[in-house]
Amino acid sequence: MAHAAHTDAHHGDEHHGHHIIPFSLLAKVFGALVFLTGLTYVTAVYIPLGPLEVPIAIAIACTKAGLVVFVFMGLKWDNKVNLLAFSICTIIVLVFISITLLDTEYRGDFGNVDELPLDDRERIEQAIRDREEALNNPAAAAADTTAIETTTADTTATTP
Amino acid sequence: MSTTTAPATAPEAEGHAGHDHHPPHLKHYFVSSDQQFDASKMGMWLFLLTEVLLFSGMFVAYIVYRAWHPEVFVKMSELLNPFWGGFNTLVLLGSSFSVALAIHYAQKNDNKKLVMNLAITLFCAGIFMVVKYIEYTDKFSHGIGMGEFFDPTGSYAQYAIPYAKQFFSIYFVMTGIHGFHVVIGMGIFTWLLIRARKGHFNSEYYTPVELAGLYWHLVDIIWIFLFPLLYLI
Repeated sequence: MAHAAHTDAHHGDEHHGHHIIPFSLLAKVFGALVFLTGLTYVTAVYIPLGPLEVPIAIAIACTKAGLVVFVFMGLKWDNKVNLLAFSICTIIVLVFISITLLDTEYRGDFGNVDELPLDDRERIEQAIRDREEALNNPAAAAADTTAIETTTADTTATTP
Repeated sequence: MSTTTAPATAPEAEGHAGHDHHPPHLKHYFVSSDQQFDASKMGMWLFLLTEVLLFSGMFVAYIVYRAWHPEVFVKMSELLNPFWGGFNTLVLLGSSFSVALAIHYAQKNDNKKLVMNLAITLFCAGIFMVVKYIEYTDKFSHGIGMGEFFDPTGSYAQYAIPYAKQFFSIYFVMTGIHGFHVVIGMGIFTWLLIRARKGHFNSEYYTPVELAGLYWHLVDIIWIFLFPLLYLI
């Protein structure tokens, strides 16, 4: 009697504890992943999206990764502590990327006492050099006069 | 579904504490198979998150160099064939599907289909490595290697521009470490295949299949990001 009761309890336990992901759902997710792979290929190779190309490719990759994590890896039905660990890890990666970019994209700007960021100052100085070169050697510069005029206009507008 | 299963597990697990029932796979320091399974799975998740951090370092290197020299990355992606990259993406997605099915059939006690799906996964991993071998040897034959070994020859000489070397260092390190994970995965799936054929796994005990599946999905996710970043954009 006791043994039978135990076996029943054990089977009930297994049944409730481990979620069996239905075949149809796995197949649908696989189909979606194949479709998204095709989509990212077509959008990147055949459709000119300009500045949107990179964000769209990354958005599609994140969607695919999300499908794999939550359905294939079963995080949707899993113990919530795993979801917590995964979320913390994702946040750490985002912090890692953003803090590193804050350094590499604005390197030198923190100690810069000029009122302009380093990149802007460098662009202005380059424009001034180009203009002086054009004044010294008008024939060579004649081809790209328009380019110089626009940068010069930019310079006078931003230089105090 | 999870909202109904989570509370149901706890009292039953407590109920198990008084029993002497010890399946062969259950270590004595665990209260129940479920507790052992959950502990193993959480350990695997924590390991996989350190893997994410390992790869995130390389992704940060990619992001910084791309932010500094976007035109180099666009030009160098011409050298990577999106057909092979896309083909390998589909191969890995297929193997992720088959490993998810392997777990599905282990839970349903269908050993024949478990063995079949493990074999499909192993086969797909093999195809992935063959394609990677073709790509790598093609690169090397044109003098495209990493670091000091970047010395493009012939029609590829036009690609010897500043920071091309850095792009290929990033490419070879990222795909190389990813490929290393695929090779490790092949070893794991060979081991699982042998054990599954001996009938070691059933709905009561399939933890190694579940954990290998988690590992394999992570390898798939890394490639999901590597494919567009290196081959497409």
